Amino acid sequence: MGPLIPQEIITGQWDFVIALLIGASFGFILEASGFSSSRNIAGVFYGYNFVVLRVFFTAMIVAMVGLMYFSYFGWIDIDLVFVLPTYLNSMLLGGFIMGLGFVIGGFCPGTSYTAVAIGKIDGIFFAVGTFVGIFIFAEAFPLFEDFYTANDLGPITIGEMLGVSNQIVAFVFSIIAIVAFYVTWLIEKRVRKGMTEYKFE
Amino acid sequence: MNTKSDTKQQPRYINPYFGGILLGLLLLATFYIAGRGLSATGAVKLSVTKIVETVAPAHAEANPYYSKFLPEDGGSIMFNWLVFGAIGTLFGGMLSGVIYGRMKKFRVEHSPKISARTRLIAAAAGGILFGIGSQFGRGCSSGAALSGTAAFSFGGLLVMGLMFGVGYVFAYFFRKLWI
Amino acid sequence: MNRNYLFLAIAMILLAGGLLLVPERHNYQQIKPEKLMWDITQPTRFVTTDQVAKKIIEGDPTLELIDIRPVKDFEAFSLTNAISIPIDSLMSPNYQGYLGIEDMKVVFYGNDDIKADQAWVIAKRMGYKSIYVMEGGLNCWIKTIIRPVEPEETAPLEDFDLYQFRMGASAYFTGAKVEIPDASKSGVKVVRRKKGAAVAGGC
Repeated sequence: MGPLIPQEIITGQWDFVIALLIGASFGFILEASGFSSSRNIAGVFYGYNFVVLRVFFTAMIVAMVGLMYFSYFGWIDIDLVFVLPTYLNSMLLGGFIMGLGFVIGGFCPGTSYTAVAIGKIDGIFFAVGTFVGIFIFAEAFPLFEDFYTANDLGPITIGEMLGVSNQIVAFVFSIIAIVAFYVTWLIEKRVRKGMTEYKFE
Repeated sequence: MNTKSDTKQQPRYINPYFGGILLGLLLLATFYIAGRGLSATGAVKLSVTKIVETVAPAHAEANPYYSKFLPEDGGSIMFNWLVFGAIGTLFGGMLSGVIYGRMKKFRVEHSPKISARTRLIAAAAGGILFGIGSQFGRGCSSGAALSGTAAFSFGGLLVMGLMFGVGYVFAYFFRKLWI
Repeated sequence: MNRNYLFLAIAMILLAGGLLLVPERHNYQQIKPEKLMWDITQPTRFVTTDQVAKKIIEGDPTLELIDIRPVKDFEAFSLTNAISIPIDSLMSPNYQGYLGIEDMKVVFYGNDDIKADQAWVIAKRMGYKSIYVMEGGLNCWIKTIIRPVEPEETAPLEDFDLYQFRMGASAYFTGAKVEIPDASKSGVKVVRRKKGAAVAGGC
């Protein structure tokens, strides 16, 4: 019964082999889906390419629904799965800054690695940028240490926040995702008609 | 999906829904094995800490942020799940690039309306913003938005919603970079 | 639109909809019921009054005695260095700092061990580790440590050792004059209780 590493069913150096394999699969899927191209990614904001939304939302609902079934069948102890704690103020600002970074840079850190892997210099610049950004953050950290931990809600789940079970959350997300897939497919078709110079790289 | 003019140049990407299902299953497997999701900036955070520690050990010790990640037992900070995951991501990307024939010599991809230089500046700026934002948000788009939300974290949902929302709000001002 | 996408979407909705039919797994943030059951049936959570007395006399810094009786009783009489946490406020956030300190052995006691045992179950359920119950509570404490009974002449030697320890402890706690001749020599460390030996005169 999972999760394996927190329960020490897998121990020792195997951790790192598994980490390497999981990382490699992650990189492969991202690259194969076309995330190594920033113009594919940024398309989500301009309606000419919704690949990000498709891959992202599909992955999310598959994992959500899967996690609930795993829990139901007793394959995984859902309480041992790490739930990212919510620090309201800090996360709102973080999401805001990342949104800006997303539309300007056209990558997110994971996808920039795959861009680096296939030889894109803009990917390299982006990846180096994340190093610089974290460096700036850490150096300035004493200035906003209190802000960083303000409004700590703890590891609260969406279901707890809304007062419904997480199964309902998974179901609602699946419906939203599928509707979004259909709507964006319509949008993409219209936008692409008017676009001539966009080429995949 | 196909526009007639550039069918030839169109690279072979896998179907996005297929990719999404694969990614979802991978995420599920990661939850099952490691009890936590995927991460990309975690490794960068540790690397930055390592660099600062190597250059100025006293400074790293004194800084309240770096000192959180310095191992107490004197072990190497880089011998970490996150770092191996990031190295794997790079290799996975290479593998896919080789298989689908996208692994070419170094190049800059940019909209025809901007110069390569503009694109590089924008990329670096985006990277810096992402670096800062990911620390406030407790993870980047993979760590917080994808893995966080998939594990039903409310914070993850916030980050995801805001990231895309802000992207749409500001998309108009940066449209020259892309279209 | 590709018909396959329609099938996929329907499959996904069915899968997700299936979740609505299955009951939600309960979230046990703390200890699992099976584990709690196992722990409750284990006698290892009990410590004897002799062990507690010995630790107090030795000044063991890892011992943390918690008096779960009402504050009034605590003020009237309590063990050395005990902290008063009445059982009904055990879950109050003010007191959580006293529980679960690393390397500390928390020992609950009350007048008997019933209430203390309840406190132990609550604390265990909250996920605390290294918690114990003083067997027999203060009643047993009075009977064994403060007013020990001399064993019969035919009793095994260990009983006499224990008795001597208890006399010494009694003197320690009450400040009474020591009556038996070599009680001072017997001290605390003389007592070497064999593992598994039943405690003579236990409550």
